[in-house]
Amino acid sequence: MLDTLAALGRFGRFVAQVAWRAATPPWNHGDLFRHIWTVTVRCAGPVAAVTFPFGMVIGLQGLAIFDLFGAQRLLPSLISVAVLRELSPGLASLLVAAQAGSSYAAELGSMRIKEELDATEIMAVDSLRWHVAPRVAALVVACPMLNTLGNAAGLFGGFVMAVPIQGENAGVYWANLWTFVNVGDLVGGLVKTALFGAIIGLVACYHGFYATGGAAGVGRAVNDTVVRATLTFFGANYLLTSAMFG
Amino acid sequence: MMLLRVPLDGLQWLGGLAGFTLRWLRVASRTRPPLARTLEEAYRIGVQSLPVLLTISVFVGTNLTLQGYNAFVPLGGQRLVGMFVALAGVRELAPLIAAAMVASKAGTEMASQIAVMRTREQIDALEVMAVNPYGHLVTPRLYGILVVMPALSLISVFTTVASSWAVATWQLGLNSATFLEFARTSTRMSDLMTGEVKALVFAVIIALVSCYCGFESEKGPAGVGKATNRAVVVSCVMCVTFNYLVSQALYG
Amino acid sequence: MDDEAPVRLVDVRKRFGDLVVLDGVSFDIPRGATTAIIGPSGTGKSVLLKHIVGLIQPDAGQVVVFGTDMAHAGERSVYAVRKRLGMLFQDGALFDSLSAGENIEFPLRQHHPELSAAERRDRVDEVLQMVELPGLYDRPTPALSGGQRKRVGLARAIVTRPELVLFDEPNSGLDPMTSDAIDALIGHLKETLGVTFVVITHDIVGTINVADHIAMLYQGKLVAWGTRDEVTRADHPIVRRFLGRNLVLPEPGSDDPARLPKIG
Repeated sequence: MLDTLAALGRFGRFVAQVAWRAATPPWNHGDLFRHIWTVTVRCAGPVAAVTFPFGMVIGLQGLAIFDLFGAQRLLPSLISVAVLRELSPGLASLLVAAQAGSSYAAELGSMRIKEELDATEIMAVDSLRWHVAPRVAALVVACPMLNTLGNAAGLFGGFVMAVPIQGENAGVYWANLWTFVNVGDLVGGLVKTALFGAIIGLVACYHGFYATGGAAGVGRAVNDTVVRATLTFFGANYLLTSAMFG
Repeated sequence: MMLLRVPLDGLQWLGGLAGFTLRWLRVASRTRPPLARTLEEAYRIGVQSLPVLLTISVFVGTNLTLQGYNAFVPLGGQRLVGMFVALAGVRELAPLIAAAMVASKAGTEMASQIAVMRTREQIDALEVMAVNPYGHLVTPRLYGILVVMPALSLISVFTTVASSWAVATWQLGLNSATFLEFARTSTRMSDLMTGEVKALVFAVIIALVSCYCGFESEKGPAGVGKATNRAVVVSCVMCVTFNYLVSQALYG
Repeated sequence: MDDEAPVRLVDVRKRFGDLVVLDGVSFDIPRGATTAIIGPSGTGKSVLLKHIVGLIQPDAGQVVVFGTDMAHAGERSVYAVRKRLGMLFQDGALFDSLSAGENIEFPLRQHHPELSAAERRDRVDEVLQMVELPGLYDRPTPALSGGQRKRVGLARAIVTRPELVLFDEPNSGLDPMTSDAIDALIGHLKETLGVTFVVITHDIVGTINVADHIAMLYQGKLVAWGTRDEVTRADHPIVRRFLGRNLVLPEPGSDDPARLPKIG
């Protein structure tokens, strides 16, 4: 219990330290853009690959309900709400945690084990500023971008299920979709994912930065990162959903 | 160039996974299942994954309810929330959540353990001691995950529905009896069974993908990290894809 | 049959991509003696060792161990060969989840079901004694020092009473004193066990005292092969350069000052 509190305290200090360095110059622009690019490229495939079938499945199960009432044309309302508000932000963040978060933990953990971080400090370079801050900032930017991709893939998945597969009318589907898509949902999703990006980046870098115990320690850091980041942002998600849409 | 390389690399990787699976099958078909070590793994995987699984299932249930409610309110269909949660939760989400959590908890651990063994030449040591590493490392992990996965999936189903019910009745003020009635009538025993079958297949996917990522890992801390990372991403993507294929076949 | 060399290498060739690692290596490792395979780093010594235990297959040529062609034999025969050999890995390759003693016991558990738990324990205690680590059975593996890891790895390699024991860089990563102790241990085991030893090393100072035969690899080729005396007296420029840097002590009884290796 005390250990947990101490760890939370250390994490809080880490967050404050990183936040301060992210907010004040000098910034490591080069790494920031490189990280944004790498994360986007590496996560785009998985995000699309997961949200697309998820959109289809929501379409499939949603139609089962609307069929009962002969209200199939209302399907886009369910799909747009589900995809824009929850599925795409949740899944995009889950995959960013799994892909980018875990690789940040691995990179930083490996740098810690091979004493590269110590070497950075010895050369009088602030390793939090140089190595950690750009990674966290990159996720804050990349997560909403990936969420936008997830939105598109999820809505398209729902469309593919409803129109070509189940034979609904394409024109009706799109018309209804545009009436139900709401700017608030889009913005809400972007805000949510920016926050999730920060959570994932901080949790991942924290575990990597304080990794100990050789190659096995790096593995442990990666493992802890995925699970804890997921738990944290799902918790945050519930609170946000209740506040924004509840 | 790059656009072409990614799918090609992916195909090559899948080919490697298939080869790995075949080699494992050959070993597994010749040897008796190691009962004690299987149960040990099953227990560990179960205990490790359960707290995360419960927490995430609660949040999924609550959010599913909030969003379903928002979608149905304009139609005056609040009563349908129970049905929506039952359909989406039981048929689709609960088994997938169980898979995602087992992949990120137990799967990453498998990958990192085996990758560490690769780094430290322990897998070579097994070979040199005439112990088949596939049999020794993969078999108990795969059987272990197969044993617990259906149970975890079932737990996730109940937690999701229960937390959804709690939000529906306490936070949204819906009628408890109506919620339960809709949830009960819209799902059948066969839906639960489908979830269980899905869970079994997810278990095989997670175990094989994670172990393979560990086996083909590069040596060194960075290699271990990369293997662990890949294990969870590939497992998740493959499980979601497979889930769609099954749902389409069954409910489409 | 008994006179046949336990390991026969016939024109072994291996390349990784463009890099030629082994370029036609042939020699027989004699039975009951200690053979040191020496050479600078990156000349394919470890790769050669991995060929002998069948972890790597040659592109061309034959690696015959106990009469079995390791490259072309089926899995069953390869495993049969491996049950007759033991290997000490560079960093021990011990399993972290097991204690020191359980690590040593592992091959016995796997391959000798006829032994009772007490008999296994006796065998483990016996080899722990041999590697001068008595009473270390319950020590967790991560708590072992570098030298202890090597000794436990060595104990694991000999616990099955193999006919052939291979050492991958037994001195690497050790301080000079521990390194000398390991060399002394290898020399002692050679006397007591009377089995075939193959030692891979680039640190020949200690090993040369225990080696009966020396094979020198350079850029994937076998540049010298023979008894210890033949090789240490050879005129080959590369051999001279390598030994000159490593062999600080002149051989006792050497009568030709011109052939003495230079110091420093």
